[in-house]
Amino acid sequence: MTSKPHEPDVSFIRALGELMEEHQLIEVKFTREYGKDNRLSIHLSRRGSASLVSEADAKPATAPSAPAPAPPAQPTPASTGQPLPADSAPDSTDPARHPGAVLSPMVGTAYLQAEAGARPFVEVGLQVREGDTLLILEAMKTMNHIPSPRAGTVKRILVENESSVEYGTPLMIIE
Amino acid sequence: MPSAMFDKILIANRGEIALRIVRACREMGIASVAVHSTADADAMHVRMADEAICIGPPPSLESYLNMAAIIAACEITGAQAIHPGYGFLSENANFAQVIEDHGLIFIGPSAEHIRTMGDKITARTTMSTLGVPCVPGSDGSLPDLETAQQLAAEFGYPVMIKAAAGGGGRGMKVAHTPAQMAQAFTSARAEAKAAFGDDAVYIEKYLDKPRHIEVQVFGDGKGGAIHLGERDCSLQRRHQKVLEEAPAPHITPAQRAHIGQICADAVGRLGYSGAGTIEFLYDGGAFYFIEMNTRIQVEHPITEAIFGVDLVREQIRIAAGLPFSFAQDDLRLAGHAIEVRINAEKLPDFTPCPGKITQYHAPGGLGVRMDSALYDGYVVPPFYDSLIGKLIVHGHDRAQALARLHRALGELIVDGVDSTIPLFRALLQSPDIQAGDYSIHWLENWLAERQTQES
Repeated sequence: MTSKPHEPDVSFIRALGELMEEHQLIEVKFTREYGKDNRLSIHLSRRGSASLVSEADAKPATAPSAPAPAPPAQPTPASTGQPLPADSAPDSTDPARHPGAVLSPMVGTAYLQAEAGARPFVEVGLQVREGDTLLILEAMKTMNHIPSPRAGTVKRILVENESSVEYGTPLMIIE
Repeated sequence: MPSAMFDKILIANRGEIALRIVRACREMGIASVAVHSTADADAMHVRMADEAICIGPPPSLESYLNMAAIIAACEITGAQAIHPGYGFLSENANFAQVIEDHGLIFIGPSAEHIRTMGDKITARTTMSTLGVPCVPGSDGSLPDLETAQQLAAEFGYPVMIKAAAGGGGRGMKVAHTPAQMAQAFTSARAEAKAAFGDDAVYIEKYLDKPRHIEVQVFGDGKGGAIHLGERDCSLQRRHQKVLEEAPAPHITPAQRAHIGQICADAVGRLGYSGAGTIEFLYDGGAFYFIEMNTRIQVEHPITEAIFGVDLVREQIRIAAGLPFSFAQDDLRLAGHAIEVRINAEKLPDFTPCPGKITQYHAPGGLGVRMDSALYDGYVVPPFYDSLIGKLIVHGHDRAQALARLHRALGELIVDGVDSTIPLFRALLQSPDIQAGDYSIHWLENWLAERQTQES
């Protein structure tokens, strides 16, 4: 039995930390799926600028040799749909003030797909037209389709499926 | 109807009354949910409640009057009941119905009772049938002078002849004696014909200098009812109450017991549930029904002060299907209470004066209660009612209550916006106020005189 099974993970996180420091990143989302088509999805936000998104099919080039367990998951966003709070983040990082922000027009429960198991209405990176459904908000047992206010690319999805949203909660960033 | 206490209540209101309800919930161990507009994100009720949900933009129609948003806020927070406070949706029968249809509890009477009392004519007919005294009048238009004279003798002079199609004071004539009757009848008809193209007139008992006296009632929804005496709310400006006191000056314990019993009986026979206020004009020793309010009133704390009970707690208990926490015989009236309404308004014209509160200091000490959602640095938004606080004092008699009000007004500081505080300091100097001699017309006359003197 190995005495330190998490060592590769720890060094991975440490490397991430250094990377964030070096490039002044305030948010990193990293998902890697091992399988037939190894899938790597990275989401980076830099202080004072729009988020950078990259998505790629890739062999885990930087990963340690053995198929290590996936890096520890980020804490999930709070149920109110608020983004991960960056300590003393300047206003420019508040998604509600982002020029591409789509704010919730009502109180309700957010559904990112039409029904359980269905494909989500939109995904990060997708081009949408004005009027395309972004998500559904359920209020008073009514399903309200929330249309995209503009054409653009889905840059960020700020709410989780089945989370509660208030009036004015930032839902997505589309620009 | 449930008989277990709620775990969580949503408060569909703002300002001091929302805070008042949060406080009752906390003492009862019930979680509270505040709802608010974007303009109220920093409001005290939002800060003090256990949870808060933003339900819309500043205009009331899209936030505090937005039924869909309020119901949705219940759904996402799991609140089982809604307290509507006063104003906004508190007397909206449709809202009460929608809440019920969603399997939630409206803390107030049934939609049907709200509807009945919301229509003035239905309310009057209903109350009259239940034995509540109304202003005597002819049921329809008067065919001739003889009928008018007969009815006037029956009601007692003075009487008023009014145009059936009328309004705005036109086609209204008062007869103080039988000798003035013929003249009043003829000229009212002529004026009615000229102004409205219809000479139909009716007759009503004329109240010369009435006081506004209201009786606080509670029904348990099962036929049980109690009353908590009366409040005198005669000091009004443009039908807005300014200062209220309980008990009403010059009302005897026998009168109180009599009118209180009539009101409690009526409410019990209606099967009414929750808090209600039956408003009367009082003149010449008699009460005349005006309307019934089917909600908690702004001035409820003066009744709480003299009876030592918590009316909001009682509302919540009744909505949860619990019995009254006190019986009629348990209620003992003690002392005298006065409330003044502190509005963010600039005197002498009472122009609304929103803005930032640079300093707020609430008075304290024995017998003083300040219900307000103000704090240092709070910005009074321009979108809502100008009420920013209620100062309530309680003394062992009226003289002590007046002295205490004087003292508390001296301690109260509200800086940054103009307020009605100076009005109350001036009112306390008036011999009529000190003696409790005033009618519903007194304040407007007094204000008009002061303005004449100053200019």
